[in-house]
Amino acid sequence: MLVSIAGIVLFLILFVIFVALGFYGSRWRRGNLGQLAEWGIAGRRLGPYVSWFLIGADVFTAYTFVAVPSLAYASGSMAFFAVPYVAIVFAIAMMTMPRLWQVSRNKGYITASDFVKDRFNSRFLSIVLAITGVVATLPYIALQITGMQAVLTIMLQGIASASVESEIALVISFIILAAFTFTSGLRGVTLGSIFKDVLIFLTVIVVIVAVLVSYGGFGHAFSAIAAAKGAAAANYSRLPPESVPAFFTLFLGSALALYLYPHIINGSLASENKKTLRRSLAMLPVYSIGLGFLALFGIIVYAVPNALAIVKSTGNGLLTVPALIVTVLPGWLAGICLLGIFIGGMVPAALMAIASANLLSRNVVKEFVKLSPEGETRLAKWLSAAIKFIALGFVFVAPLTYAIQLQLLGGIIILQLLPAVFLGLYIKKMDWKPLSLGWAAGLISGIWLVLVANHFSSLATSDFHTGLGLLYIGLIALGINLLVSFLGSVLVNAMGARRNGLLKESDLVSEVKARVAGSRVSRR
Amino acid sequence: MDKRSRQVIAAILLLIPFVVYFDVPFYNVADPTLGGLPFYYWFQLIMLPVSAVLFLIAAMLIDR
Repeated sequence: MLVSIAGIVLFLILFVIFVALGFYGSRWRRGNLGQLAEWGIAGRRLGPYVSWFLIGADVFTAYTFVAVPSLAYASGSMAFFAVPYVAIVFAIAMMTMPRLWQVSRNKGYITASDFVKDRFNSRFLSIVLAITGVVATLPYIALQITGMQAVLTIMLQGIASASVESEIALVISFIILAAFTFTSGLRGVTLGSIFKDVLIFLTVIVVIVAVLVSYGGFGHAFSAIAAAKGAAAANYSRLPPESVPAFFTLFLGSALALYLYPHIINGSLASENKKTLRRSLAMLPVYSIGLGFLALFGIIVYAVPNALAIVKSTGNGLLTVPALIVTVLPGWLAGICLLGIFIGGMVPAALMAIASANLLSRNVVKEFVKLSPEGETRLAKWLSAAIKFIALGFVFVAPLTYAIQLQLLGGIIILQLLPAVFLGLYIKKMDWKPLSLGWAAGLISGIWLVLVANHFSSLATSDFHTGLGLLYIGLIALGINLLVSFLGSVLVNAMGARRNGLLKESDLVSEVKARVAGSRVSRR
Repeated sequence: MDKRSRQVIAAILLLIPFVVYFDVPFYNVADPTLGGLPFYYWFQLIMLPVSAVLFLIAAMLIDR
C-alpha cells in the first residue's frame, strides 16, 4: 500500500470534520432555508474573505488539480495556458459580475437566466440559456468525480478489489454530500470550501518544498525530461512556435467562458455587496499561484522516479498529483493532502449541482408549472441531489475519456451564452430573436467544427486548423454567434421591430430603493 | 479625480494583464531560467501577483 495507516486515519478524521462543517452550515448566518435566495445563494451575505474562498473553490476544482498537471506531464508547456487563463478571467469577472450582482439584488434574481428574461423580455431565451447552462455543467461535475477517483486509485493501490471499493467510497461520499447540500445549501458548501482551500494550499507548499529539498529542484526535473524525451524535451521548456495560436485562443476562450458557468455566477451573486465582490475577484489571482505550481507538478514528477513509475505503470496521467503526494511526503501528511484533493472534487461538484438545480427549478420548470417560493426551493433541493447521482452514474457507466470529451464540448457550448449575458449587461439595443439565432448558430457551428476537427471519431482536440494556424473552436463559434447577434439586432432595430426589455439602466448601476419581494433578506 | 477618470484608469489597469499575456512570443523563451525553471514558466507565474495588485488598485479606484 502506498499510504500508511496513519495517513488513512487522518484522511477519515478530516473527512468527518468536513462533513460536520457541511451540516453545521445550516446554522451559520441562519436564514429561512425554504427560500431559494437563502438556500441557493446564502441570502447574499458572504463577506470578503468567505467570498474569496467560495469563488476560489468554484474556479479551482479537482479537474484543475488533476487534469492540468496531467496535461503538463504529457505535453509540457501547453498546460500553462491555465495560468494566463486564471489571471485575466478575474478582470473579465470584475467588468461583469458587480453589474450582474447589482441588478440581481435590485430585482431579486438568483440566476443569469432571470436577468436575460427581463433584459430582453423573453421567456424563450431565458429557458434556452438555462438548459444550455445545465447541459454544459453536467460533464464538469462528472470530471470532479474523476478527480476524486484518482485519489482513491492511489489510496487503494495494491488492494485486490480496489475498483469496487472505490465505487462504494464514491457512492457513500455522494450520499453524504447530497444530504448536507440538501439541508444546508450554499452555506454548508461554503464552509466546506474554506476547509478545502486551506488543505490545497498546504498540499502545494509541502510538496514543492519536499521536492526542492530532497529531489534537487526544477533543474533536475528538466534534465530528467531531456534524457527521457529527446528532441520533444524542448516542448517542455517553452511552446513550440506552431502551438502559439492554439495556446492564445485557448486561454482567452477559457477565460471568457468561465464566468458564464452557472456555479461561478451563483458564487458571485452570494457576495454581500458589490465592493466585497470586486475585492474578492481582484485578489483571486493570488489563488491562481497555487494552481500554477500544481501545474508544475506535471514537470516535477520527472524528478521523482518512484512517482514517475506509478504514473507510467498505470498509464494514467491523472495520477500525477496523488502519486507525487504519496511518494515525497511522510504517510500522515500524505493522508491530509489526499483529502484536500478529494474534497477539492466534492465542493465544486456540490456548487455545480446547486447552481444547475436553481436554473432547472426556477428558469425551466417554473416557466411551465406554477410553483410557490417554497415549492421552487424544495424542487431545487431534490434536483441538486438528483444531478449529483446522474453525474456519478455517468462516470460509472461511461469510460473516463467520454467525460473529458464532453467537458471539451461543454466549454464551447457555455461560451454561446456570452452575447446575451455579458453584452446584455452593457448593451440594451439587442433583441431576443437575433440573440437566439446567434446562440443556435454558435452552438451548431461549434459542435460541427469539433466533429470535423476530430474526423467524426472520438473527440481528442478542440482546435481547428485555419489560415491563422490551430485555433480554439470555442472562440470561432463565439465569433459566429456575435456576428449573427449584432447584425441581426442592427437589422431588427432598423425595422423598428425590437422588443423592449423590462429593465431600466439604473437597475444595473445603483441600489434601487423599492425592492421586490425576495431581493432583501431579513437580518437577525 | 472625478468618478469618470477613476473609472478610465481602473479600466486601463484591468487591461494591462491582457496586453502582457497576449504578447506570447515575448515570454515564449526558455532563458533566463530562475531556480532551474524556464523564463516561460516563471514569467507567467510572476504576472499573477502583479495582476492581483493591478486589479486591487482598480477595485479601490472604482469603489472610492
